[in-house]
This record gives sequence, C-alpha cells and structure tokens, in this order.
Amino acid sequence: MTTVGQLVFSGLLIGSIYALMSIGLTLIFGVLRIVNFAHGEFLMIAMYGAWAITRSLGLNPYIALVAVVPAMFLFGAVVHQLMIRPGLDKPHLVVVFATMGLSILMQNVALMIFSADLFDVPPMLSGRSITLGPFYAKPELLIGFAVAIACTLALRFMLNTTYLGKAIRATVQDGEAAQLMGIPVPRIFLLTFAGGSALVGLAACMMMPLFSVFPTVGLNFVLIAFVIVVIGGMGSIEGALLGGICIGVVQSLCSYYIAPAYGQMFFFILFLLVMVFRPAGLLGRKGEANIGIND
Amino acid sequence: MEAAPAQTERRPTRWRLMPERGTVSLFELALLAICIALVAGRLPQNLQDVVIQTFLWGGLALAWNIAGGYAGLISFGHAAFFGLGAYCSTILAVNHGVTPWIGLWLGALLSAAFAALLTLVCARLRGPFFILSTLAAAEVVRIGALNWATLTGGAEGLAILPTPSVLNMVFESKTTYALLMLCYLVAVYVITKVVEGSRYGFYLFAERDDEDAASAAGVNPLLARTGAMCLSAFLTAIGGSLFAQYFLFLDPTHVISPELSFQFALLPALGGLGTAIGPVLGSFAITPLSEMLRSYLGGAAAGLHLAIYGGVLVVVMLYFPGGIAGALQQISRRRTKGAP
Amino acid sequence: MTTLLEVRNLTRTFGSLRAVDDVSFSVREGELLGLIGPNGAGKSTLYNVIAGALAPTSGAIAFKGRPVAAWKPYQAARAGIARTFQIPKPYRHLSVIENVALSALLHNATVAAARHSAEAVLADVGLADYAEEPVSILTVGLLKRLEVARALALRPSLVLFDEIMAGLTPSEVKGMTSLVASLPARGITVIWVEHVLYAIMKTAPRIMVLHRGQLIADGAPEKLAKNPAVIKAYLGEEMSLA
Repeated sequence: MTTVGQLVFSGLLIGSIYALMSIGLTLIFGVLRIVNFAHGEFLMIAMYGAWAITRSLGLNPYIALVAVVPAMFLFGAVVHQLMIRPGLDKPHLVVVFATMGLSILMQNVALMIFSADLFDVPPMLSGRSITLGPFYAKPELLIGFAVAIACTLALRFMLNTTYLGKAIRATVQDGEAAQLMGIPVPRIFLLTFAGGSALVGLAACMMMPLFSVFPTVGLNFVLIAFVIVVIGGMGSIEGALLGGICIGVVQSLCSYYIAPAYGQMFFFILFLLVMVFRPAGLLGRKGEANIGIND
Repeated sequence: MEAAPAQTERRPTRWRLMPERGTVSLFELALLAICIALVAGRLPQNLQDVVIQTFLWGGLALAWNIAGGYAGLISFGHAAFFGLGAYCSTILAVNHGVTPWIGLWLGALLSAAFAALLTLVCARLRGPFFILSTLAAAEVVRIGALNWATLTGGAEGLAILPTPSVLNMVFESKTTYALLMLCYLVAVYVITKVVEGSRYGFYLFAERDDEDAASAAGVNPLLARTGAMCLSAFLTAIGGSLFAQYFLFLDPTHVISPELSFQFALLPALGGLGTAIGPVLGSFAITPLSEMLRSYLGGAAAGLHLAIYGGVLVVVMLYFPGGIAGALQQISRRRTKGAP
Repeated sequence: MTTLLEVRNLTRTFGSLRAVDDVSFSVREGELLGLIGPNGAGKSTLYNVIAGALAPTSGAIAFKGRPVAAWKPYQAARAGIARTFQIPKPYRHLSVIENVALSALLHNATVAAARHSAEAVLADVGLADYAEEPVSILTVGLLKRLEVARALALRPSLVLFDEIMAGLTPSEVKGMTSLVASLPARGITVIWVEHVLYAIMKTAPRIMVLHRGQLIADGAPEKLAKNPAVIKAYLGEEMSLA
C-alpha cells in the first residue's frame, strides 16, 4: 500500500508543477479566448534561459527566476503586440496557424543555437531525497510544489481583491460588456498574455532541476498542459491545479504499473473522454466548448 | 452603383485564366502541362526525388484541405490517417502477401472509418477544442503503433522488400514513381474540384461559415462534417500507402508524428485554404524549397529551413491570410475590374 | 383553413429563467400573425424552439398535423419552416446570390438551378443589383433583406420573421411591409416578430403579445391597444395606431 501512497504523493508533487506550467495557458484562454500553440516553446526558451544563467553565473535555477520571469513577461508582451493583437479580430484559425508558425520557428532557432543535445542542471543535495513521514521526495519537487501552491493562492488573491484582478474576471465573463464598462480590454489582453508568459517562466525555473531541456521539449509538455487545461476547465486557475494533480497522479501510477509509454496514451484517452462527456472540464463553464471562440 | 456589376455579371463561355470554382482554367491546364513535363523530362535523380515528394505532398495537402479548408475542420491529427493507410497496406503486403494495389483501398477504408468515429465523438466540439482532440487522437494512434510491436514492428519500424515489380508496387525507375504520384495528385485535385462545384461542396462552405444559418436552410451539419472528414482521411491514407511504397520504410515516430500533422496543415495554409489550387501551390512552393534548403544547409544549420517555414507562416497568416492563392486572386480581380 | 402550426403548453427554461412559459396558440394556413412584446419577452426563444434550434423543456408542437417537438433545425427547414435571424448570419465567404442559392438548393437539384431560383428571389426583395457582390459590403438593412431572401428561397409553408425591419429607412419599411403582406396570398403563412410597431399594427390582422415568457394577449390590433395588460407590459413605451 505504501507504494501506491508514494506514487500518489510523487504524482501530487509533479502534478502541481505541471499545473504551474498550465495556469498561464488557461488564463490566456479564459481572457483572450485563444489557444497559444507555442506555449510549449515559451516553456522551452525559459528553460534554456534558466539553464544558461545557471551555467554561466553559477547560480541555481531558483535564483535565476529573478531574471527569467521578467524576461518572459517582456517576451510575452512583444509576441502579443506583434502577433496576437493583429490576429484577434480575424477568424480564429489565423491565430492558430500564427502561433503554430511561431512554435516551429522557436523550436528550430533553439535547434540552431543550442543543438539537439540535452542540457541539465546539477541536482540539489546530490540527487538524494528528503524524507517526509512515510514518504520521500526530491527537494526540487517539494520546492516546486510549494511555489505552485503559493502562486495559485497569490493569483486567486490578486484576482479577487485587486482592480486588475476584477477587470480580468470581468473580461473572462464577457469581453464586450467589460469594454462597455470602461475596462481597458486591450490592455487586459496584453497584461494577461504577458503575465501568462511570466508564469511559464516561473514554471520553467521549477522544472529545470527536474527535466532536461532540448529544442523539442516543449512538445511533450504542451500536450500535458492542454490536457490539464481541458480537464480543469479553460479559464479556471484552481481547475488547472486540480487538473495538474490529476495528471501527475495518473502518470505516476500508470508509469509504475503499466509501461511509461502506455501511460502517456492513457491521459490522451482521458483527454478525449473529458472532451466527449464534459468538455467544460471540472471547473469550467458549461457549454463553452460547444460555442468555441471568436465565432 | 458603379459600373462594376455590369462587368462581373458578364460570363463569357471562353476559358477562364485564373482558377475558379466549377470550371477549369488555363492556369490549371498550364500547371498540369508543367507537371507532365517534369515527369517525362530526364531529370537527375535527386531532382526527381523532389518532384515525387512535391506531387505527393500536393495530394496530401489537397486531402487535408477538404476537411480543414472546405469544412472548416482544422485537424492537427491527420498523420493518424496517413499512418493508418501506410501501415495497413504495408502490413497486408509484408505479412499476408496482399498487393498494395488492393491494400491501399483497405487502408483508406480503415482511415475513413476512424475519421467517422472521431468526428462523431467530437461532434459538439468547436475551434481549439476540436483541434486539440485531433492532436490527442493522433497521439493515441502513434503510441499504440509504437507499442503494438508484434503488429507494426514498433520503434524498429517496418521495411518493405525493395524488389521491383508492378504487383508489389515497387519500381526501379523514379520516373514511374513520379508518374504514380502525379496520378495521385491529379486524382485528388479532380475530386476536390468536383466537390467544390457540387451541392455537397456548397453545403460544406455554408456550414463552415455559419452552422446555425446553414442548419436553418436544411443542411445536416453533422453529416456534412463527417463526410468531409471521411473523404479527407480516405485520400490522406492513400497518400500514406503510396509514401510507404516509395520510401520503403515506416516507423511510428516519423510517420504518425505531430510534426507531420502540422505539415499537412501548413501547406494548405500557406497556399490558400479553401481553394483547390491553394494546397497545390503551397506544396509546389514549399516542398522544393524545403528539400533544397535541407540539402544545402543540411546538418550545419539544421532547422534553419524549418525556422524559415515557421517565420513565413506567421507573416503569411497575419498579413496574407488567403495564402498564395488568395494573393493571386486579388491580383486577377484587380485586373478584371480595371484601374480605379 | 387547416391548422398549420399548433403550440400547446410550451415551456422552455434556462436554469431558473422561464424564457417561454406555458405558451399555447395555433396558426392557420394563410395567416399573417404578428408577435410583439418588450425586450426579453421570449420571442426569439419561442422561434428557436419552433424551428428546432432549442428543445422545449415541456409542452408540444405540431406542424402540419405531425408532432415535432425536439427536432433539429435542418429537419424543420425540410418540413417547410423557414426563419430569419435577429442578428443576420450571412455566409461570409459566399456572394449575395450564393447565400440565397444555398437555401434554394433545398428545391433544386443542381447548383446552377439553385442560382437561377435565387435570382428571382433576389429580385423579389430588391437585392438583384448586389447579386455577385460579397456580403461584406452590405449594410444592416440590406443584410436583413438577405435574411428574408434566404428564408423565401426555401419555399416554406411557414416563415418566422425576426425583426426584419430594424435599421430600415421608412421607405424600406414600406417596401418590406408590402412584401410581407403579399406572402399569405402566395401560400406562405407568416409569423412576424417586430419592434417597429406601426408597421405591424397596420398590416397584421392578428397579433399576439408575449411578456416575460407568457402569452398575455392574442387578437386584433385595435383591441390590443386598449388591453390594460398589454399597456402595462409596455409601460413607458408609446403605442400608436396609424
């Protein structure tokens, strides 16, 4: 039984980090009603950034976030202004293909700059685990978990109490009405996209100690992120956290009891099942998937 | 009202210059002539490879366009249909001695059935939800193929014996392959044009533009969409079988990959979604370019050609959403209306 | 005259909102029936349920004698019900005539024949000059006419007009009114939702009033104007008869 417990515990921890990576995606969908197909590549360059800073300055990735997070914020802002904004009033396939093109571009620029080799940062505590009661976990996982939870709570607090937060929630509910109420919706779009990118940067710093980075690493993670966002409900932060934990646990259990590769297949099947029976996800708004976006 | 309507109402019975719905234009005939010349001409081997791939990808792009451009069902999972076709005909040929000439039809039917299932299951999904579902479905097929090694050879792949014979659809001469691929391209093109000019095609366009209005006009949206997806899958699978016969080696990572799925969507997007000539132009523009970039830059700047791809796609989608075909149409329209 | 449409105790709820609340009425062949009511009264929802875009929560609908509750829009269209949309929904990538030809395909075997049919309908609504133009150049008034053309091209037995006058100039309203008035003689029964009251009160011999999902009046326009419940529903609005 303790094996299952350990697996669930590990799944919980890694799942929360997956969730951190997905919060940006779900917010961007909730506010802008677009899917950023380059989301995985944002994660990838942030990871390269964390790796580069760690290697050249000898810091550890957790400190590197001080540079990576603002840099990703800026990057997101630039991408939004140049690419997303012009596409918002066009049919949604324009943004789909444009972000897809960006994804291909970024993957291959990374390939040209960094080559296809895998890069890592050295683990903390020389790779040993910490014991917490009956369970054990690597310290990187625990830190990542803590940051993910803190981030979710902070975001929820921000959304509930600050003006920006309320403006974001209003825009999520009804962009047109929000605009009519005097909310500067284009600026909300910009801030959300940039903020979502910054969150990806934060997630990358948490993930760098746990995963290797290579040019196509984004592809693995973006599919996980999509599944999480769909399960949790597009636009819901708590949904992303719950979805992430679900996925983490499912992956953990499946990898142990069934071959790891099949484990991946399971959560695509899970994705499809959710799409069929409850496309709004656990905490999303019903009927959203049937209306689509920008139609 | 200006004088313009009088000009556009005139519908002479002479040949049209530029491609149009429902008719054959001089442009298309000229392109066909060029293609035949490319097959018949004695090109060096590596150029013949480029021609073969250009034709094959032209057909595949057209097939994707039926679902993605005409029906508005953007799919990032078409590699699943491609792979199903390729693997089905190959497994039947290698393990059971069934000639690929028959095997490819079976693969196509299997793909179409899978497409019907997928469309029905995802019937109520729109926009990115649908796109992501196609992606997930293709990944399921890929992982399944990867792990069902007894059937598919798994990661080690499946090879076809390169003994040339017509029955085995393996040819010595690249010219024959080029002819085969050209036939595929022409066939898919003709099917596309026929659909485009038919009642069904019309229903598809309306359903894509506004499902509610089309429903209120008597269109059964689910049937329309399922039909488009099935036809698209059917034709894509045939392309997959042809690919298998040419490349003589299959493995899931390369044949059912998301990258391949993106390629299916990318060529029509660049060439012009929702037109018949668009995907062809997309393939003719991109495939040779990509092959040449790959052979000249190759390992040294691996990825440069794809990076350029990506960059071009971004620019085209934002500023020329009609693609190459759209740009051509705009030029020809400006010429018919005369100078302002 | 036979009953074309029969609606009995029809209710449609959205959560706790009763958008259509226990509505019953019947429409005979050849009638021109107006449907008015303040905003939010449930008129569009009623249309959506009759035309199959929404399923009723309870109640029954019978069209041409057959019970048809919870059918799909394309089935309604094929059975002979046409509708317009309050916010016009044209096919953006098709030209004006193609928009109409799509509907005409229901009764024509080929695209060419449908186009031919569409030409006649376009002439009917006064859009013949715009036949080959893209719909993007049409103003709201013209888009509404396009909606009417698309509905008529279906050769329906019953047509549901949803505020086709909104945004039209007074002369356009006149033209559209005479078109609508001519339909029953052509064998097309009309239900007509309208906010431009002077047009509908003058033309329709029978008007129903919907308020908060309920049918509060059903009769001749002159009687409605004196009906206290109707006046109360429109509190603050002026109702004038020609």
